[in-house]
Amino acid sequence: MRDQIARLRGAIYSLWYGYFRKNVSIGTGLRIYKKLRISGSGRVDIGRNFVVDGICGDRSQYVTLDVLHPDSVIRIGNNARFHAARISAKFKISIGDDVLIEESGVIDTDFHSIEKKRENSSDENAEKCSVSIGDRVSIGSRSFVTKGLTIGDDVIVAPGSVVATSVKACMRVCGNPARPL
Amino acid sequence: MGFISKILKNPIQSLFYLLAIARGSVYIIRYRILNNKVRIKFPFAAFAPVRITGPGSVSIGKGNHVQKSIFRGLTIVTLSPNALVTIGEKCLLGGVTIRCRQRVEVGDGVMMANPLIQDSFFANPEYAISRIEKNLINETRPITIGTNAWLGAESIILGGTKIGNDTVLSAGAWCLGTYTGDYMLVSGNPAKKPLPIDKLLRLKGIA
Repeated sequence: MRDQIARLRGAIYSLWYGYFRKNVSIGTGLRIYKKLRISGSGRVDIGRNFVVDGICGDRSQYVTLDVLHPDSVIRIGNNARFHAARISAKFKISIGDDVLIEESGVIDTDFHSIEKKRENSSDENAEKCSVSIGDRVSIGSRSFVTKGLTIGDDVIVAPGSVVATSVKACMRVCGNPARPL
Repeated sequence: MGFISKILKNPIQSLFYLLAIARGSVYIIRYRILNNKVRIKFPFAAFAPVRITGPGSVSIGKGNHVQKSIFRGLTIVTLSPNALVTIGEKCLLGGVTIRCRQRVEVGDGVMMANPLIQDSFFANPEYAISRIEKNLINETRPITIGTNAWLGAESIILGGTKIGNDTVLSAGAWCLGTYTGDYMLVSGNPAKKPLPIDKLLRLKGIA
């Protein structure tokens, strides 16, 4: 019953976004168990069988995808599964297939510069700050992925870690900053 | 007599306390009716919401407090039918999140400030598809927290951790398979080697 409702919600959501939000493209088989919020004017590409869910035990958290700039891109592969994930892009975030993200954040910008005026920082660009996450990556709860890095395939990020540097494929990392376990 | 003088000293606080006790009693009755695997003992002071879900069994001792915090009260999730969560007496459980697949044991008089206690790596390990370390994903090890321990704010406790009596975890500490003896200080993400508090106090010249 719960699955059917989720599928129905997904179908309505896809239909709504197909008509009114041309910057979002969603593949077939979207399932929404909890709220999904897409904000901003950038581009969002979501693959097939995308699942949106909350984290078990906390009703207030939901999935947010923020594309803050008209040129920003979020690309999500097939069979991805987000549990209360918060993703905000100013440049480009690409996420591979079969990815599991639980209650954590992915961000590719600092939003402000370190100068006193706190304006948009001038040294950020798409090459430097883009985040790419490989296939079959699992990210544990209360962890965070910062800007300008690449996470390889089959990586496991332990709960509560802050990923600040690139991670090679087939590794498991933990801690702040994230190091191999 | 001491009880009455306490009430007279700060009547507003005691009114809030009585309201919390009433709220806690509602939770006790609710879980007794709806879920016979959950046992909460009276008195249970709930200043913030309490959520207990899942097929496993939960037992909470008497005299526990649930304070207000950003994580909105106490959350206990049992992820499998044979999961077992036991919490001792007179604990402070503000903003605690427990996700249990096997066994979580908390002693008496434990102070906690919104920690995450999770005995498996992922809450949904069946969807973590990685070609390496299949056993790490599926691995669950029991967690034990001793009496009178103090878990600092936002600390994270993962599978296989055993925390001794009177031990202090500093804020943001991260434990995976950490074993500490009694009266130790654990800090760092990931956790460094536990330090005996007796020695620290002696170094500082306090005791």
